[in-house]
Amino acid sequence: MESLERRLGELRAEVRRAAASRDAARVRALRAELRNAERDWDDALARLEDRQLAPGDAATSRAPLRTQPDGSGVAVVAGGAATAPGGGPLPPARLAAAPADGPLLPLREQVHQALTLLDVPTAPKLLSAVHDAFFAGEIPSARLTSLRRDEERSFRSAPFARPYYLCAALTAELLAPARGLLAVSTWPMDRRVIGPLSPRVNYLSAAIRVAESFLRIPGPGPAAQRLLWRFAANIPGAADGTRAMDPALVARAARAELEVHADDDRQTRAAAAARARRQLDDAEQLFGSRLQAVPQAGASGE
Amino acid sequence: MNDLDARLGRIRGDAAPRPHNARTIAALTSNPGCARRAIMDAAGVDKPRLASYLGFTAPFGQSQFAITRGNAFEAQVKANGCAELLRLLREQLGLPIPEVSYDDLEEVGGQRSPLVRHTSTRSLLTRAARAGDDAGTLFDHPLLRLVVGGRHVYLEPDLIAFRLGGRFHVVEIKSFAVIDGQADGDKVAAAAIQSAVYVLALRDLLRETGTGPVDVAHEVILVCPENFSNRPVATFVDVRKQITVLRRQLSRLARIEALVDLQPPGLTFDLELDDAGVPHRPAAGLADDVRAVPARYAPECLASCEMCYFCRDEARGQTAALGRAAADELGAVPTVQVALGLAGGTITPADDQAEAAALLREAARLRQECLGATA
Amino acid sequence: MTTLTSLARAQAVATGMAQPVCTMRHVHLSDRPLVLVPLVLAGEANAPLAALVGDDPAAGRLLVVSQPRNRDRRFAFAAELAEIVVSYVEGYYSSVQTVPGGRGQDERTRFADAPQVLVPNPACIGFVRLLGRSTRFRRPSGEYAVDPAVPVLGRWLSFLAERAEHPGSCLLLAATDVVALHWASGQSPVEDLNLAALMGWVSPPAGMTGAEAAAAGEDPVTWPPAGPATDPTFDNEVLARLIAACDLPDDDARARHRAESALQAALAAQVAPTWRLMWRAIDLLRGMPPGSRVAARWDADKDAFTSYAGYLRDDGPPQPRRDSAVAAAQRLNWLERAQASYAAQRALDDPLVMAEHRLSGEAFAGPVTAAEPGRLDSSGKRRKLRPLITVVTQDSPRIDQGATLVSPSRPSQQARVISVSAAPLQPGPLQPGPLQPGQVPAQPALVQPGPAQPASPLALAPSPASATAASAPALAARRPLAVVLELAGGMGRALTPEPGSVPEPGEWLCYTTLTDSYQPQGSFPDRADTPWTHGGPPPEYVPADEDASEAWS
Repeated sequence: MESLERRLGELRAEVRRAAASRDAARVRALRAELRNAERDWDDALARLEDRQLAPGDAATSRAPLRTQPDGSGVAVVAGGAATAPGGGPLPPARLAAAPADGPLLPLREQVHQALTLLDVPTAPKLLSAVHDAFFAGEIPSARLTSLRRDEERSFRSAPFARPYYLCAALTAELLAPARGLLAVSTWPMDRRVIGPLSPRVNYLSAAIRVAESFLRIPGPGPAAQRLLWRFAANIPGAADGTRAMDPALVARAARAELEVHADDDRQTRAAAAARARRQLDDAEQLFGSRLQAVPQAGASGE
Repeated sequence: MNDLDARLGRIRGDAAPRPHNARTIAALTSNPGCARRAIMDAAGVDKPRLASYLGFTAPFGQSQFAITRGNAFEAQVKANGCAELLRLLREQLGLPIPEVSYDDLEEVGGQRSPLVRHTSTRSLLTRAARAGDDAGTLFDHPLLRLVVGGRHVYLEPDLIAFRLGGRFHVVEIKSFAVIDGQADGDKVAAAAIQSAVYVLALRDLLRETGTGPVDVAHEVILVCPENFSNRPVATFVDVRKQITVLRRQLSRLARIEALVDLQPPGLTFDLELDDAGVPHRPAAGLADDVRAVPARYAPECLASCEMCYFCRDEARGQTAALGRAAADELGAVPTVQVALGLAGGTITPADDQAEAAALLREAARLRQECLGATA
Repeated sequence: MTTLTSLARAQAVATGMAQPVCTMRHVHLSDRPLVLVPLVLAGEANAPLAALVGDDPAAGRLLVVSQPRNRDRRFAFAAELAEIVVSYVEGYYSSVQTVPGGRGQDERTRFADAPQVLVPNPACIGFVRLLGRSTRFRRPSGEYAVDPAVPVLGRWLSFLAERAEHPGSCLLLAATDVVALHWASGQSPVEDLNLAALMGWVSPPAGMTGAEAAAAGEDPVTWPPAGPATDPTFDNEVLARLIAACDLPDDDARARHRAESALQAALAAQVAPTWRLMWRAIDLLRGMPPGSRVAARWDADKDAFTSYAGYLRDDGPPQPRRDSAVAAAQRLNWLERAQASYAAQRALDDPLVMAEHRLSGEAFAGPVTAAEPGRLDSSGKRRKLRPLITVVTQDSPRIDQGATLVSPSRPSQQARVISVSAAPLQPGPLQPGPLQPGQVPAQPALVQPGPAQPASPLALAPSPASATAASAPALAARRPLAVVLELAGGMGRALTPEPGSVPEPGEWLCYTTLTDSYQPQGSFPDRADTPWTHGGPPPEYVPADEDASEAWS
């Protein structure tokens, strides 16, 4: 055990020195060795604990007190950070959600649910928060990064085989896929293009839809409240200064600001949608034109 | 310029040049008199690698926790069409409600080459400057360009240049906290000088495209977390002084060619890396070449240049290594040995050292009086 | 930084060891200081990661936050730290002392001693300040309830951090500040902020020079940074994985437990070396005798401690977030005066510190060469005892006729400058101690300048004999001065002085314009009269609900 610990310490020092000297190859090699050593150490410790535990002992026995590797004799008494104050259980890392009915849906269905609620192209983090607030189960936003690519592959191999696809939103300027946004293929083209005002317009529309959903469901939970509160904080007039939140007020305020931008945004998007339908094929209309930028006429500037 | 590029390339060796960014440009202003750093930075030498290879690994590095936090905070501020940033700008700057237009210049139709992005940035910003009201408000990941040492350097603000009242403001998002209205002075200073680099670049761009009196504000908007939370708060930072300093240093750098002329013709810092990236240049000869270019070490280098330990080792015994204040107190005498000799009366001072020498002798006498003969 | 301390640095470079710049200790050192070595997670405002704390070098308590971004874990850490710190502080409630009344002050009681917290460096004082700030507004009840000890911890930490800004206060000290106050290393002040490097110069291990030990101290792999920041390679190669391992779902309690143990062990290894350095620094400082004014400054700390403890007992609200304009201006004014007073006190206590002022002309020292102890001044209505003494010095004081000086060894006696004139040459540097023949004014032989000694790199001041030869040309250019002083006070009430109250020929004395006498507070308007230019009178600070629920993410 001690020799394992010593090896662990040595390897850690070597990796750190290699990292500091920017020797990429050596760092990689040493890191791999370090992983192995960590695993060995962990296994050894587990076996040691197995042997030390008498049958029936509580599973929360403490690991032996550690002295410093150089044996200087400084006794470090570990504080009780492993339990929460009062000795209660540790806060669970994830809330287990009870499914509303039946088994959990596959990821694409969950995303479709959330997008349908919002009805505008949306980024993964917000999608995940919306799904958390109003539907059973969780979407970790990290899993959404490859979703668009997977959907595109699926479409290209068998176009329109599925009733809907999760697709991109296209930038008005170049009809290229807008970074980080997901949309639904069954939406009309002009809802799937993004002009300069569209991010804000979509945000305000999303706020309205969230506020309306909030009013519809009985007993909205803390996730929904947090979500609505975040919208309220960023829309003028949506929060009345107290901590109480009024969904109707949020929707009203969002509509008021939407008035200001809506017409211009609609025009931009209509023109872009028309161009897209004219110039792009089916796959490109869904997933964007990547290889050749198709700029607006006369917009190339200098 | 091509000739200069070629010579700098020879000095650098085969490796690709390390790109400049606002932080390294800002660092250039902190030690303008150091030829070694000027040439290495101009040539894009991989200084951390070089320092390590010579046995003087630099004390720099970035914790992934800091990087992650920084990225997460920036993403949060910019999410959903910069919803949180818009709130700040409206509340604290009076940005009018209709101003919400957002343009993302990170990827231009799937193309990420600097030239394409820069061209797109130029056209969008120029159009915004010329057109009337609906010409754009927020520009995300613009790619600017600055002439540094006679060469173009691409600079990407992680920040958004936006238009208010006809002026552009550089916005810088940083993840150090502003607590009760106060933030760490060093970090604010670093952010200020980096932002000043962007201001300069943006002004140059608008000047080049001849967009008349539209200007770039000298107030930069610094967005930081408030107190101990993740809520952003915005502050104005006036960077006029930093801009002045930068311009002066950049114009000095423009004379890098003259500096390169002074160096021995075969000078190179090449590590002679093989295909696996392993260096083969004998370290002793490399160190000689490095030492052939004079440096000007000061303790400030420890915070800003990866060659610092090498140059510090070289500067052992110089009073400059003890810090500016100490060096001044020792009468601006160059070495510790001379200072002690003057103090002990064993070295005759030169004419311009007479006053300093007298002071040093006094100091030595006093110390000996108080500490006895063992002093 | 003065020429003397810079010269000491140069000497350190030449000798390879740190050089003293004080002959005594100018800070109070408690019998039982509480040492705190904190670590924070990079990138956050002040997210505690670990702390090693205790008043016994053999038994430090390690506190670890295994999920540093988890709010509950942070407050659990704060609660544990509170238990240790608050009980240490309140331990000093148990004994009181009586302070005799003085000028315009009644007799009063205060605590007989006060807590003392030692951290490695000024950045750790910043940690204490921020931790105090993030905890002192919390409440034990309501929506964001915390352990009741947490806000108490916050108030004490904020109190300590505020006191740390007072020059001369010793309730909260940074080890690098204290060590650098007493020794000059052979490196720059910024490098002195690294405790391991500084201690390398001051107390290198056997077989290493100070410079070698300092260089070793800069290697973060063998000597972890003293905090609160961790080394980036530690974060990236070791810490990140250990923290991630503690984040996994706890179906397997034993695996989780192993992960936490591994994290604790790694963090223990990061703080233990600094812990040992701190206690070594404490030992070094304990070995120095304290200056005579240290006790009085510690008394002021005890008063502040007593006063704040009383304020807490009366349920005073936590310190407000920011000073009002008047409080800020008052503080600046106070700080300036306190800084000057602290510097003067150190000089009056310590001849080596006073030497800096001798170099700058605010003081001089030398032997008394003549004295008229019985001289009377009959010019006024009553005759007064006004002895005259002549002090010869090789210093270059910049003092005017009529200036009032004081001697550290005769603090209750004033000396008025009657005249300053050239004195006869001395055959060698004046030294404190019995008068040498030739140091009494007479006609000393003029010294012949001899050949200069060969330059020796490690020589500092040559021995007195060769100094005469080599430095005579310079000495000849600067003659010693004879200062005639009229003394008043400190001699009793009669017209003849009490024995010993007037300096006698041969006595070595120092005289200076420095004083540490109390100066009245600069006049500032009352809080209620804050001018409109500074925002008008500040509202009374009332702790708000929102303070208790302030996010700590």
